[in-house]
Amino acid sequence: MGKFLLLAFRNVFRNRRRTIMTLMMVGGGVAGLLLVGGFFARMFWGLRESTINDGLGHLQIFTAEHFNREEKHVLDTGIENWRQVAATISTGGHVRGVAPRIEFNGMLSNGVKSGVFMGSAVDPVAEQTLGFTARVATGRDLDSKAGGEIEALIGAGVARSMNVKPGDGLTILAVTSDGALNGIDVQVVGVVNTGFKEMDDRYLRITLPSAQRLLQSDRVTNLVVGLDNTDNTDLVAAQLAPRLEGLPQQLVLKKWSDLAAYYKQVRSLFSTIFVFLGVIVFFMVLMSSVNTLLMAMFERTREIGTMLAMGTPRSWIMALFVLEATLLGILGAAAGVIGGNLLGVILNHSGIHLPPPPGTTVPMTFRVMHVPSLMVGSSILVIVSLALASILPAIRASRLQIAEALAHV
Amino acid sequence: MPELVSVEAVTRSFPLDHNFVSALDHVSLHVASGEFLAIAGPSGSGKSTLLNLIGCIDKPTTGRILIDGVDTSKLKSSQLTKLRREKIGFVFQTFNLIPVFTAAENVEFPLLVQGIAAQERRLRVGAALEGVGLSARANHRPDLLSGGERQRVAVARAIVHRPALVLADEPTANLDTRNATQLIDLMHDLNRRLGLTFIFSTHDQRLLEHTDRIVRLTDGQVVSDTLTSESLTTEVSLTQPAMQGVSRGQVSALSL
Repeated sequence: MGKFLLLAFRNVFRNRRRTIMTLMMVGGGVAGLLLVGGFFARMFWGLRESTINDGLGHLQIFTAEHFNREEKHVLDTGIENWRQVAATISTGGHVRGVAPRIEFNGMLSNGVKSGVFMGSAVDPVAEQTLGFTARVATGRDLDSKAGGEIEALIGAGVARSMNVKPGDGLTILAVTSDGALNGIDVQVVGVVNTGFKEMDDRYLRITLPSAQRLLQSDRVTNLVVGLDNTDNTDLVAAQLAPRLEGLPQQLVLKKWSDLAAYYKQVRSLFSTIFVFLGVIVFFMVLMSSVNTLLMAMFERTREIGTMLAMGTPRSWIMALFVLEATLLGILGAAAGVIGGNLLGVILNHSGIHLPPPPGTTVPMTFRVMHVPSLMVGSSILVIVSLALASILPAIRASRLQIAEALAHV
Repeated sequence: MPELVSVEAVTRSFPLDHNFVSALDHVSLHVASGEFLAIAGPSGSGKSTLLNLIGCIDKPTTGRILIDGVDTSKLKSSQLTKLRREKIGFVFQTFNLIPVFTAAENVEFPLLVQGIAAQERRLRVGAALEGVGLSARANHRPDLLSGGERQRVAVARAIVHRPALVLADEPTANLDTRNATQLIDLMHDLNRRLGLTFIFSTHDQRLLEHTDRIVRLTDGQVVSDTLTSESLTTEVSLTQPAMQGVSRGQVSALSL
């Protein structure tokens, strides 16, 4: 077996120019997949972390009713004793903090013009503790300690539509938990640019006490849990679930991955594109390698005939060709992994910026992640592709008529 | 000596355009174990075709060939492969060494195919290379060897697995006189010393002069079968079809 492997290895380097060309092609395919896959992985990672840090958090706790039925009145499926729940959660390992939230909607007016909003109420201190950023473009974030007027953050689209800026006032109207209409005057302290136009056109954020006053309820919609590391999400979720069972209200724990619909859509789309690229690389390597390996087979016809004449089993000849192609694939994959990673490092230091992705307004920095699973996957892809490409030449070689092969010029 | 090869009324024809061309026409030949036999004849006379058939790398259109008493026409492909692997060694006109292997690795290859253990292989390769006088060149690749050395490596490769029969197709055709003479002496020495049966095709007069028996082919037919050993120089003409077989029998008796 050792000698057979040695023969295959030496045959790979028999025609160096052709081998180098094949290695460049295979390595180029792997490097291309690593760069594209690495860019996508970095994009997924960036989107994941920004989604979490923009306020989604790692875990969210709702009442079970929240998912079972529509609210008759605002917050009637909210968490009642949320402070006790928050205290219970905060004692868990890897938990950085818990932020209560109220999701509500209503209308806002500048006295001349009115529009709808999708509002959220937060505890600014808890949000800041968890590192959730509101992406304030002008003005400042909410301050729970500030006295006087009720503060509000509005989206850039709202500010444009209502023709307001930080320091201006707005009136917001919403239906209370009793079903009555209530309104409060707020002072715009900051304008937010989320990066998504649809969101900026309806964005409103006020403090939790202000929303509870507006909605006439002490409940919250949900509790957002921030962890020390996204990788600990599953672990903490598994630890918290039993602790929530002993509480008066039936609560449900959702992971960020359950809630990040946009992230999942983006990931699904780009994963499909990547699979498509992988298929292209697979067939590119397959088709060009078949030709290369067939040429190698024709060049060695007499040698194969000699080996067959000496009583070499035909299966050995087949195995030899498949082994040579596999070795070529391994070498090409290794070259591709090295080249792809080097290129990735160079590109990461180049500071290239890409135009904003569809639906966003912020340019994206081109960065590539070095993903081990991608390296293994891409390598396996080209190795399998080359091994498959060798089957036709291997079958032809093994079926050669010995006398004709020996007479081959 | 027992009969090793028996070619019985063998015909081999090949398709050409819409017809068949006969390369061998009812050829019969019997070779005893330990013979040193040359198949001579002009180009296109059927020498290589006959060797291919005896070497079980081609099949006769009609007739049959027995190797060591085994009817090869009844063997399956895998059985023929096994027969070649164990009982036949090949020497080719163009040496046909594996270029990426060293001389020693080339000689080792038939043993590798037979599944012989590494230590045994090393011993046999060493002995075979010593036998052909190439121990010092064991680790050289074929492109670093002269034509004569390459052919001696090919001979070592053909005998290393101790076959009953060595077939050599024009072994001296690509060699100069000195190397050709050395190769002839070597093969003759192996024939005498180890009792190996050699059948080779040639039109090289230098080789024919050292041969015990010469079978001449013309247009796919055996035209003469001659014993040329020092003690016996009988030539039997086989040009008359009626005399085929009978004369061969007489010659065989004389050689024994």
